[in-house]
Amino acid sequence: MRWNQRKRAKLLFGFSVVFLAAVAISGVLCREAAMTTDFTRTNLAPCLEYPFGTDWLGRNMFYRTLTGLSISILIGVCAAGVSAVMALLLGLAAAVFGKRTDSVISFLIDLVMGIPHILLLLLISYALGRGLRGVIIGVALTHWTSLARLIRGEVLQLKESEYIQIAEKLGHSKMKIAWKHMFPHLLPQFLVGLVLMFPHAILHESSITFLGFGLSAEQPAIGVILSESMTYLIMGNWWLALFPGLMLVLTVVLFDLGGNALRSILDPSSVHE
Amino acid sequence: MKLRKFASLLCALAMSAAAFSGQAFASETDTSQEVVVTMPVSSEPASGFDPVYGWGAGEHVHEPLIQSTLVRTTTDLGIENDLAVSYSCSEDGLTWTVQIRDDVKFTDGEPLTASDVAFTYNNCRDNSSVNDFTMLKEAVAVDDTTVEFHMNEPYSIWPYTMAVVGIVPEHAYDENYGQNPIGSGRYIMKQWDQGQQVIFEANPDYYGETPKIQKLTVLFMEEDAALAAAMAGQVDVAHTAAAYSEVTIDGYSLMSVDTVDNRGFNLPCTEPQEIDGIVYGNSFTSDVNVRRAINLAIDREAMIDQVLNGYGSVAYSVCDKMPWYNEEAETAYDLEAAKALMDEAGWVEGEDGIREKDGEKAAFTLMFASGDSVRQALAENTANQLRELGIEATTESVGWDTAYDRAQSDALMWGWGAHTPMELYNLYHTMEDTGLAQYSPYANETVDAYMDQALQSNDLEESYELWKKAQWDGETGITQEGDIPWIWLCNIDHLYFVRDGLKVADQKIHPHGHGWSIVNNIDEWEWE
Repeated sequence: MRWNQRKRAKLLFGFSVVFLAAVAISGVLCREAAMTTDFTRTNLAPCLEYPFGTDWLGRNMFYRTLTGLSISILIGVCAAGVSAVMALLLGLAAAVFGKRTDSVISFLIDLVMGIPHILLLLLISYALGRGLRGVIIGVALTHWTSLARLIRGEVLQLKESEYIQIAEKLGHSKMKIAWKHMFPHLLPQFLVGLVLMFPHAILHESSITFLGFGLSAEQPAIGVILSESMTYLIMGNWWLALFPGLMLVLTVVLFDLGGNALRSILDPSSVHE
Repeated sequence: MKLRKFASLLCALAMSAAAFSGQAFASETDTSQEVVVTMPVSSEPASGFDPVYGWGAGEHVHEPLIQSTLVRTTTDLGIENDLAVSYSCSEDGLTWTVQIRDDVKFTDGEPLTASDVAFTYNNCRDNSSVNDFTMLKEAVAVDDTTVEFHMNEPYSIWPYTMAVVGIVPEHAYDENYGQNPIGSGRYIMKQWDQGQQVIFEANPDYYGETPKIQKLTVLFMEEDAALAAAMAGQVDVAHTAAAYSEVTIDGYSLMSVDTVDNRGFNLPCTEPQEIDGIVYGNSFTSDVNVRRAINLAIDREAMIDQVLNGYGSVAYSVCDKMPWYNEEAETAYDLEAAKALMDEAGWVEGEDGIREKDGEKAAFTLMFASGDSVRQALAENTANQLRELGIEATTESVGWDTAYDRAQSDALMWGWGAHTPMELYNLYHTMEDTGLAQYSPYANETVDAYMDQALQSNDLEESYELWKKAQWDGETGITQEGDIPWIWLCNIDHLYFVRDGLKVADQKIHPHGHGWSIVNNIDEWEWE
């Protein structure tokens, strides 16, 4: 049997969702085990019992990696969700409520985009006292811009289309037009934008945690795991960095592939491919 | 074709240049009198090599090398003369008189006189940002070789202060002194590349024995970089941690130095109350039986084996192995006795194995400084051991910006250890304004009184007995049978990879800080 592109996209999307959900859930379930230290099994190389090895406190790196990824995924989902909603609202508002609102919001977008992502993220996270809250708010406040710009452009184009013009002539309020006529049209872009924001959010979460401005050191976050592993790499404990790093890359890649698959599923023009 | 010729010519030139410079380098210096030592990045003195701002006399005490001190500590931590010829204390303990040598010159050729000494101490009293000099009223130069220290209050352990304060030249002291220090010590600072290295050369006019090592280079780097440098054969002594102790490097062997660089945690002794937004006290650890049970339930030997690969010694106080240590502090591991104590105090085991009393869980937070893997491991190990007792210790990493305030209400993994009994005073003596000890709420009038008496004594040797009594006098104190406000776990051996053939002179017990102490006696090291 030959699969067409659409079927393959569906399969890929399904696989991504199942894998990521499995990682997220199992990570939450084995959180307790990930924190457990046992000094009788320190610095073990990967074996059957500990597939990812153990670290200098005798923590099981497999559980730790899973929990770290699940924390990352949860943070990514939260932050990207907040960020995408902000982008949607601001993008709609910019396009719908006249010139003045548009210029204010465009200015905001340029402002946030003008500052390097990671720098702004560090500042916000640090100012909010680091930790989970700092990271989520930091990621949310820095990632909305490109999606907001996309949606704004889309809405500007929509405004010129006939059915919106007619709705306006019929005397519908701006809010009603935005909600009833524009939003359904924007939904695919929004969803795809949201999903494609996850990998960014996850990578940024782990990088600021790696730099010490994110989650605190007793948390089994991927950034913490990677920064701790630095000390032990020179002793040849390669497994401390390799597996968590690979898993992080895998997660990010799956989000990206899943997002692209979702786009081709939702995009009407690719129905017949 | 032309280009290729040109390139090969360039290559040849470069190679011959390299060969020449290599030769020049080899003939100019004799490596048999040079040593390259690594130290942690944090050991680099931020304010330069100025005793007033902590060089030698700061958080981490060591001999200042560039400057000389009035006296110095011996290997068994007694006191011997250096610049001083003799010193004495008046009956009332308020005046110290020190006679100094008359044959000492600074490296700029000027003689070192009593007025330089007086200037140094008065300057420390007025400006020292890291050391407490409030007990000193004034230092006065009586004549060229006699200094009198007039004290505000008796301070019997003054010689330990005299052992760390390097004497600076009055005529060559300004705000840039820390960058260009001039002293009368064994070495001259030749070059300082901030963030990288410091180079010292032996002082040819030194008044004592001529240093055997003529040139000392100190490189500042973290432990992993130091290990890499040793593996590449670039350094002679590389500081390292227990985690790396199993690594073997060809041409190097591991040297372990005994220390009083201890680790332990505080247990707030008062009921919680909030003052100015900071909570002082902890209701669980304010129960003395809980604190005693915790002290009994810690298997220090196992902890040292598991966390430090065996490179450590058990600690029962902040001053183990020091002349003022009271051996009564020793407490054998006894889990059953600890359990009995908890039962007796009304803490009974709940369903989840954690003890409870009146609905309150036997639980506390044990914090450690983020980024310090040894303290983290000790905290985790402590938590595991206390679980056996039915106490739940939750570990948490904190930054030093908040750690001091939080330690007033929660346990924190600390590191202490110094060559002065003042450390006991700093940890256990109450402060005037709060009536509680500085770092963790605790107060005991008897302990205070012994320490006050010890400071008022005019005989150093006699005062040791009083410091011991402050720890345990048969009835009360800070040990197991007393109030036990701090739990001490271990002293961490300082580990170094030393190049074969280098004979590192016998070290005195290192204090807290894995830095400058190793080069205290660099002048006595030798290549074989």
